Amino acid sequence: MLNEGVKGYQLKKLSVFLLLAVLFFGWGTPLQADESEPGESEMAEPVEEVLPTDDLAAGKVLYEKLCISCHGVEGDGDGPAADFFEPKPRSFKKAEYKYRTTPKGALPTDDDLFRAIARGLPGTGMPDWADKLNKKKINQVIKYIKTFSDKWDNQQGPHDVIPVGEPVASSEESIEKGKKQFTALGCTLCHGAEGRGDGATASVLTDHRGDPVYPRNLSKNWLFRGGGETKDIYMRINTGLNGTPMPSFADQLDNEQSWDLANYVRSLSPAVQPERGSMIKSGRVDGDVPSDPEDPLWQEAEASWFPMMGQITFEERLFTPSVTDITVKSLYNDKEIGFLLIWDDRSKSKKKAPPKPTFTDQVAIQFPEKLQPGGVVKPYFIMGDEKLGVNLWTWRAEENQFLESNANGIHAEEQFQPVSDVKGKGSYVNGQYRVVMKRALNTGDTEKDIQFESGVFYPIAFHAWDGGNGETLTKRSVTPWYFVLMTPETPKSVYIFPPVVVIIVFGLEFLLQKMLRKNRDSSA
Amino acid sequence: MRLPLVAKAFGAWILSYVIFKFGMPFITSPLPSSIIFMYMSLVTVAVLLFVSVFEDDFHSFFGPITSFIRGEEGDGVGRKMSRIAVFIIIPLFFGFRTYENVKPSFEAPFPQRVIHPAPPGEAAGFTNPFEGDEAHYEEYIQEGRKIYYENCVFCHGDKLDGHGIFANALNVKPANFADPTTISMLMESFVFWRVSKGGIGLPGESTPWDSAMPPWELILTEEERWKVIMFLYEYTGFKPRTWE
Repeated sequence: MLNEGVKGYQLKKLSVFLLLAVLFFGWGTPLQADESEPGESEMAEPVEEVLPTDDLAAGKVLYEKLCISCHGVEGDGDGPAADFFEPKPRSFKKAEYKYRTTPKGALPTDDDLFRAIARGLPGTGMPDWADKLNKKKINQVIKYIKTFSDKWDNQQGPHDVIPVGEPVASSEESIEKGKKQFTALGCTLCHGAEGRGDGATASVLTDHRGDPVYPRNLSKNWLFRGGGETKDIYMRINTGLNGTPMPSFADQLDNEQSWDLANYVRSLSPAVQPERGSMIKSGRVDGDVPSDPEDPLWQEAEASWFPMMGQITFEERLFTPSVTDITVKSLYNDKEIGFLLIWDDRSKSKKKAPPKPTFTDQVAIQFPEKLQPGGVVKPYFIMGDEKLGVNLWTWRAEENQFLESNANGIHAEEQFQPVSDVKGKGSYVNGQYRVVMKRALNTGDTEKDIQFESGVFYPIAFHAWDGGNGETLTKRSVTPWYFVLMTPETPKSVYIFPPVVVIIVFGLEFLLQKMLRKNRDSSA
Repeated sequence: MRLPLVAKAFGAWILSYVIFKFGMPFITSPLPSSIIFMYMSLVTVAVLLFVSVFEDDFHSFFGPITSFIRGEEGDGVGRKMSRIAVFIIIPLFFGFRTYENVKPSFEAPFPQRVIHPAPPGEAAGFTNPFEGDEAHYEEYIQEGRKIYYENCVFCHGDKLDGHGIFANALNVKPANFADPTTISMLMESFVFWRVSKGGIGLPGESTPWDSAMPPWELILTEEERWKVIMFLYEYTGFKPRTWE
């Protein structure tokens, strides 16, 4: 009897369990179905091309589908896109390859070519092909591009490859030694004292085709064509760049010295590439908003990093901008708001007449003239549009002028205000501009000037011109709209609510305990 | 040894959470936290139902809990200390959650945006003048390629995947034509309209017009726009959508 009772009890338990399980999954499943992606069967499948079985023939088909737009049908690097990129696409006829593991002047190994195709060359028009081409296809393309130059026929036997010795880990000591090498070897002549590509010779260098070539800005390693890691830098130091003035230092440096120099160069860039910001948080200061870019108060302000692109929407367009990004900080007090803009420029430019005209370097902050209700509608991000105008604060480096203007489109005439309310200070040191622009929060002109109050998101965008790169008027670097917010003081409720909640919950616990104790006492 | 019911119930609850949170990503995709919260609420209800259906289960489940809260005569130091710890940790947890909720957070506004707006009447009815001209097809493709690489490659990329050299500077990412959810799901006429009008020409529901796409009707002729569209389809291997 007892046994049966236990059995029956357990059966009942099991049935309750099953019932709950059915209810649970019956309820849960449709929820999940709603979340799912559209079925794959609805997706279109691209038509795959059938390649010839012969490697060289397959390489030709792939080359003519994927590579000719830049490198040209004949492989001389003059496809239709060639004029729009800086640096220019490689000529496979000249077969001067920059990124190798072989001594200066030598041809690259197949592995070097493979790496360039698979990983691409960051900061250039050459993308990473590894997701589109498998190993076999990349090797077929390599086979084909070698047919453009007879230099490859003379390549007998295996390549000499630069040996990579025991690495020296990065340390303060190693970096310090590398820094000394950097000066002693004359790296600063081209790359500049702090490595921003602003050395004395920087603007006159040319490559083997006579095109201008610029020393790398060593403070942005994510744009190093041959890779930004220390071992890549080690290799560049020892191989040099064929077809450019960058020599090989293999004869001057031993393994340890090469690593020291590579560690130093790596240390000029941040540990990781900055992330694109979405807004600028303007911090509150009690005293004055500092006008001097070097004021220590700026160091505590939060920095936002924004990549820039050439203005390629309206004629005349700029396809090869030299300013690739800008860093912005902001501070405000009861009366004023200030912005610190930091960007790299390889030369302090001056106005110069043709044949190779140059212009003044400039920077501008762009706001809408007025905040639209709801804040969603904004003027067009490049200088506004017919309906909605923008308010610009501009600094011209050569004249050291702070200007205020309004525009309704890039081709509509920019209206400079007779008196500029924007004040500030700009400096250029070792290839970097640092400019502070300040203005009163409220100017009284609600038609032409943006007015600021804390806690509100204002659209903000940036423009930069490197006059030495021939940039002026419409030829400039731009950003899309971001936001700036004057972060309000923390409301008092933040410090009141949490302790109140803690006290209430604790009180409830205490009550529960008391209740349970009372229960026990009364039942005892 | 048989586990006490309290331990079983808590064990089942924690196991369910582990499965939803860490097990599901292996089977399907990771579950959003709102779904996990919903499932866990169901599990909580199920566990409570399960332990309260039979009276002796009810006692063996709630008995240890009540006796832990109120404390018994013979409790050792360890049990007392853990009771105090639990009494302190729970209010602090709620206080912290409250702080997370009320502290000011400054997230940039992220307006809703319709990527493929319902095409206005004007978007329909464009027909490709080169349709069916097989004899010159290859010629048109090469011309389209040239136009693409002189105008579009900077944002939409060498691989037509939306990773051009300027793509990272843009706030609405350039379209990825190699993705099966873009041009292959659109009719040629719509693509032509979109290319012609650019970001500025989008209808009201696509506010705030953050798209940087230029209105190409200002720069390219009608024939050039059609050729570049033909190149997009040829390169990616997709076919434009048609009336089924």
